[in-house]
Amino acid sequence: MLQIGLVFGVCLLGQIVSVLLPVPIPGSVISMVLLFLLLFFKAVHVDRIRQKADFLLKNMAFFFVPAGVGIISQFREIREHLLALLGVVILTTFFTFGATALTVRGVMKLQELGRSRKRKPRTVA
Amino acid sequence: MNEVFASPFFGITLSILAFEIGIWVEKKTKLAIANPLLIAVVLCIAVLELFHIPLASFDAGGSVISVFLGPATAVLALSIYTQLSRLKKYFLPVLAGTVVGSLVSVGSAYLLSKWFGLDRVLTDSLLVKSVSTPFALAISPNIGGIPAVTVAAVVLTGILGAVWAPAMLKLFRVRDPVVAGVAIGTSSHAVGTSKAITLGEVEGAMSGIALAMAGLITVLISLFLPHPGQ
Repeated sequence: MLQIGLVFGVCLLGQIVSVLLPVPIPGSVISMVLLFLLLFFKAVHVDRIRQKADFLLKNMAFFFVPAGVGIISQFREIREHLLALLGVVILTTFFTFGATALTVRGVMKLQELGRSRKRKPRTVA
Repeated sequence: MNEVFASPFFGITLSILAFEIGIWVEKKTKLAIANPLLIAVVLCIAVLELFHIPLASFDAGGSVISVFLGPATAVLALSIYTQLSRLKKYFLPVLAGTVVGSLVSVGSAYLLSKWFGLDRVLTDSLLVKSVSTPFALAISPNIGGIPAVTVAAVVLTGILGAVWAPAMLKLFRVRDPVVAGVAIGTSSHAVGTSKAITLGEVEGAMSGIALAMAGLITVLISLFLPHPGQ
């Protein structure tokens, strides 16, 4: 019970900070940062929230069911343009995924290259 | 009968049942399209439509489930913390990936909307569709979008990302869990992350970082987009 209380308390704090900040950052993301800082500075030990965290993470997809069902309330507004909208969603997701994957992989390779070059002993005459 | 449907237990029970059926179908068929979230959403909508149950009744229970989205996102901190050494090592690639990915997302949404002949308002509603709902809802009205359309596009993007992630990983020959997590989180926010978690702890942690970073970067990008009405 204390575990779940801690997590919900951090979420409440995140919500408060989110309302106070002038830039739009969701409470859940601020809560994530806050909880990370608590773990990082050893204010909270990992084992103290591990069990509840596993429960929440394992069931994350399930928690999205109502948000997905809620799409029917927007159906009237998107019905006319449903095909075009789906087209944009499908293609942008594909492009974004590809661009991100290739960039991460590319920069990783550059990093490796830089590291291996540094490691090589310089044979300067 | 309406009072029964308006009880929170209706929405909660229906969601759990639908999701369990989704898990069962996924196990039986082993098809990517048989995604438990997708199946659960379709089943719930079918039940509501079939029995003429208003969405508000379902949401009495649905909103209880949605409460857990915040804590579920927050505890991603734990995965990130356990993957800290990896994150330190790959901070530069992760940052580069989320910046490029976010730019491509907004840019391609703009160009494709034009290409599909969508009008200005709909285009503006789709620009920030790759970030999670609270981010998107905060940005969309500022740049002239309709919040309802944005929410629909965000949810569709998330579900599509979750369903499609394994196929896209194969297509782009992604084997590194860091690359996989960042690509999933940047392209399909928290819903995609829920899929990344099932692939492995590294994927889940990286997807969590990516969803937060892509959200923040998209907020920055939106500052450079035209703000109609201001």
